[in-house]
Amino acid sequence: MNIKANTRILKIVVACSVAFLAQASHAVTDAELDEAFFPYKKGFPTFPGLKAGMVINKSNVDQFKDIISPAHFKLIKEGWMEIPVAEAFDMPLPKQYIEATKQHADKVKLGTTIEGFVAGRPFPQQPSASDPRAGEKLAWNFKYGLNWGDGAIIYPFYWRYINANTGSVERTMKFEFHFLNFMHRTINDPKPNITPNPSQLYRGTYLKVHEPLDLKNTQLLIQAYEDDLKRSDAYLYLGFQRRVRRLATGQTTDSFLGSDLMIEDFEGYNGRVSDYKWTFIETKNALMPYYKHNEMKKFHPDFKESDGYKFIGFTGKANCTPDITWQLRKVHVVEGRPVDAGHPISKRLIYLDAQIMTPSMSTIYDRKGEIWKSFQIGKAHPDFHLPINKGSGIPLDDSGSVIDLQSNHCTAITFRGEIDPAKNPPSLFQVQNLRGGD
Amino acid sequence: MHKQKRGNLLRQTATMLLSCLAVTTLASSAHAEDSLPVLGESASPWKVDVFYENATHFRGKDNTGNRVGLSKFRNTLQAEVDKNLSDGWAFHGIFRGTFDGVYQLNKDEYGKNAGGAVALESSALEGTPVHYLPFGQGIVNWTTAQGIGLPPSNTFGFNSTTPGGLANPSTSPAAVANLPYNPNQGLRLLFDRWGTNPGGVQAAVPVRPCDVDSRGCTDFGGYGDKKRSELEAPEFNDKLDFIREFYVKKNFNLDDGKQVFVKLGKQQVVWGRTDLFRVLDVINPVDYSRNNIYDELQDIRIPMWILQAEYRMGASDTFQDRNVSVVWNFDQFRPNNLGQCGTPNSILDAACILRAFKSLWDNGGTVANFASVLPPGTPGNGPHLSTDFGPHTIGIRNVDLPDWSLKNTQLGIKWEGVTADGISFSLNGLSYRSQLPSLHMFNVGAVNPFIGTVVDTSDLIAFDLVYPRVSLLGGSADFQIPDANLAVRLEAALTHGEEFGNSAQASGYSKNKVFRSVIGLDRPTMIPWINEAEATLFSAQLFYQHIFDHELYDRPFGKVGMVDWKDNFIGTLLIRASLMNARLIPQVIMARDFKAHAFAVAPSVAYRYSDNLSFSVGANFKFRDNQERWHFADQRDSGSFAPFGAYTDANSNTQTGPGAWGLSGLVPLGAFRAGPIGAAWREDEIQFSMKYKF
Repeated sequence: MNIKANTRILKIVVACSVAFLAQASHAVTDAELDEAFFPYKKGFPTFPGLKAGMVINKSNVDQFKDIISPAHFKLIKEGWMEIPVAEAFDMPLPKQYIEATKQHADKVKLGTTIEGFVAGRPFPQQPSASDPRAGEKLAWNFKYGLNWGDGAIIYPFYWRYINANTGSVERTMKFEFHFLNFMHRTINDPKPNITPNPSQLYRGTYLKVHEPLDLKNTQLLIQAYEDDLKRSDAYLYLGFQRRVRRLATGQTTDSFLGSDLMIEDFEGYNGRVSDYKWTFIETKNALMPYYKHNEMKKFHPDFKESDGYKFIGFTGKANCTPDITWQLRKVHVVEGRPVDAGHPISKRLIYLDAQIMTPSMSTIYDRKGEIWKSFQIGKAHPDFHLPINKGSGIPLDDSGSVIDLQSNHCTAITFRGEIDPAKNPPSLFQVQNLRGGD
Repeated sequence: MHKQKRGNLLRQTATMLLSCLAVTTLASSAHAEDSLPVLGESASPWKVDVFYENATHFRGKDNTGNRVGLSKFRNTLQAEVDKNLSDGWAFHGIFRGTFDGVYQLNKDEYGKNAGGAVALESSALEGTPVHYLPFGQGIVNWTTAQGIGLPPSNTFGFNSTTPGGLANPSTSPAAVANLPYNPNQGLRLLFDRWGTNPGGVQAAVPVRPCDVDSRGCTDFGGYGDKKRSELEAPEFNDKLDFIREFYVKKNFNLDDGKQVFVKLGKQQVVWGRTDLFRVLDVINPVDYSRNNIYDELQDIRIPMWILQAEYRMGASDTFQDRNVSVVWNFDQFRPNNLGQCGTPNSILDAACILRAFKSLWDNGGTVANFASVLPPGTPGNGPHLSTDFGPHTIGIRNVDLPDWSLKNTQLGIKWEGVTADGISFSLNGLSYRSQLPSLHMFNVGAVNPFIGTVVDTSDLIAFDLVYPRVSLLGGSADFQIPDANLAVRLEAALTHGEEFGNSAQASGYSKNKVFRSVIGLDRPTMIPWINEAEATLFSAQLFYQHIFDHELYDRPFGKVGMVDWKDNFIGTLLIRASLMNARLIPQVIMARDFKAHAFAVAPSVAYRYSDNLSFSVGANFKFRDNQERWHFADQRDSGSFAPFGAYTDANSNTQTGPGAWGLSGLVPLGAFRAGPIGAAWREDEIQFSMKYKF
């Protein structure tokens, strides 16, 4: 064996070792956990010229371009909306979830898909631009995040379809949504998994339409598998057909019941991690629609509850945007490009909140690469919401808006969410449950 | 329209709508005042949704060249009522009242002036002035029968001329007092809307509402004897069909996480996974009189009083979902509503066959091209003469509708689940009654019209109508093929006990096992030039039917046996796009009956102006190759009363006993070969509808 050959082998060994080390996991340190779950321990971020109480509008938005997502910058610039700025606040996640992260994160690694994951945040370490799979890790962090905890209900859940050219409300949908994690549970019993679960379902989403009449009793059940390479199963019960229809997976990228959302858009992103190629862009501070529900000043005049709960109101052009306050927070910006060339979008740019790891802000680009839609979900602090949510530690999806900038159309969404395991039994997420409808 | 009549119609329409509106308004106001009867927790309010819908359809020319015009002016008021009761029970009700003004707005086609005088053919007299003679003037009658040597006791002929129960002098004096009046009025020829039958047998059928003309009217199973007012407002009947649904339901949670789900009341129970046509979805009968096969099944299933109980076991180590359900249909048996002859929708034209045959039995009638002119022993199969049959000779004698009894109730069981791999499946078993009628030749104690005496025979074209008991075993499954972006639906069923018309059998029918299956494929497809955000749905289905022990034999003049195809396929394709945030829905439905060579296409566009107001415009066109492939043995050559009417073939073999030799035509069985699409040829329609939710 000559020196040249030995050198070549040595290079290969070194390269493999570097790659292995990059993949290899290590025990998560307290410092890493602090940075992941308590990013504001040392104070909240600031930005030149930004103050609580001010309003960002088209006259001053250029000054704050760096802390606003591209779609929302465009919306403000074009007069769709304004951003009232408020003081930031901490939203610590439940200690059980953080503890599970500490306990299990060191065993998690990426192969073809995720490996060794048990519970908690899979990759609590801060993303690094030098890590080619940093974007993918953030996607996993969201997938196994705590959006709605181990289970929750949203009811009533109002979606209004609005023609922004005329301001007319075309349709008003009244939904009931339920979420349940079958696996990797950290808060509600049984933990970590609901058994038996022979299909290895990770998460179920069940929804029912209460209004309008033509869609009344329509129900949708989405069963997401633990195996990320396996496509979710979806079943639709159509009230006018009185039977359950299996949905082809393509229908998750179709406009959902005529709204500006696809099923894939639910909760910010509802597809498989493997459906997209994820790229970590940067970590930065950005304005996010996070607020305390009970401290908002204006609520929706049309939707009322007998217990006095008030729904977030809407403002701006055609009343497309939630009437809430925003705050400057630490975010990870991730770009996702669909693997499927036939996907209706070319990419989505997600602003992932660094503390709670939910994609509250997205810019969605059409197949030509032009900005198509803005997506936002307002997060409410659970201690300033319904009594049942107090102390849950689960930041609540509380208001939302998807604006189609190309067709001047929007879907305005307002929630009543409850972190209540009793309202989310596993039987609700069985196909047969759909058939018991009217 | 006459002013006074128009006023009556408007008054009746207004009365019906106001009555329904009053009921629903009361319900709504009761909701507001919480003054409805307390059925449970007052905290849960009554939820009442009310809508009005108008459906207006127009047809072009039928096969006679007659422009039909308005074929539907249906006004529907429907209230859907929900309330949570105490202890976890919930109530659901749907109340529907409709009024179809077509019977008065187009009375020449469907009302009191429908039909007219008809003439029936004697092919033997082609080229002469008596080639076609009016109903009641058949060449063969009581007088001419004697002319060929039959005794005066022959019973050919009927009373077509004398109102008040007096006999036509030309008919048998022995029957004078009993012959009902059966004039040449308000009649059409069988299948004349969509076919012609030169040289074949033909019968006349009364087409006016039964309060105007009661000939051939009888209760075939909830249909066939309706007055105009009952046709106009079909829900207001002794079955209280205005109560579409009325049930309570509850989930009983068991300690181990399993559940027992109970639903009791008037309801629809839907098995299976198909659209348009049914394989497993046979628990509720279907009302085809509403809009043939073209309405949503939800609107045309006939709800029945049913107890459903499901044991929901949830997941196991093997299955992701498991449940067993029992369905007990304890309602009195009701078959499919096949419509009434003279109304716009008579699927397979079965209602016209039934009414014509019932009238033939009750009143007698002229049958075209029935009696052969060939002397006995002369080889050949025609030509023929029109023949006046007396009452109680041919046709439908009785309708045997099952009374309510425990053994007449219907019971089903279903095991359903989802495998660990995500395949949904069901195994189904059902003991029920056929929802389609079967005609049994009764053969015993028949009057031989040639001599007027009672004899026993076989192959007699005189029937009792029954609904036989049937058992069904089947299954279904669905799954997805992700790589093809396809959802796949499968269904299969094997039935025992179904009966089919069979001219090879002396009883005219046979019981056969039947296998039916369907494969359905659904594929949402993004077609950017249609819509970049909303997918276009392609949904294709292929139905297959196989009749076991199928009989079809060559006889001297053609084939005899079972009119239904041994194997047949029906394919359907739905293409539905979605525009303007699903507020504008253009779609086209196509259906092809492969054996019948019949094709239907139904394009439509629905526009949802708001949550409360929507419109749609559509059309329905049918196409066919030719009608000859639908011709089938008509049994005029059955020779039920040998030696009368015995045929001799080309080899000089003469019929020695009853049994058809295969003389064929479109009437009366061609409709079953044409299928629901072919038998609706020339019923092309343009359709408008408007729906408003209050």
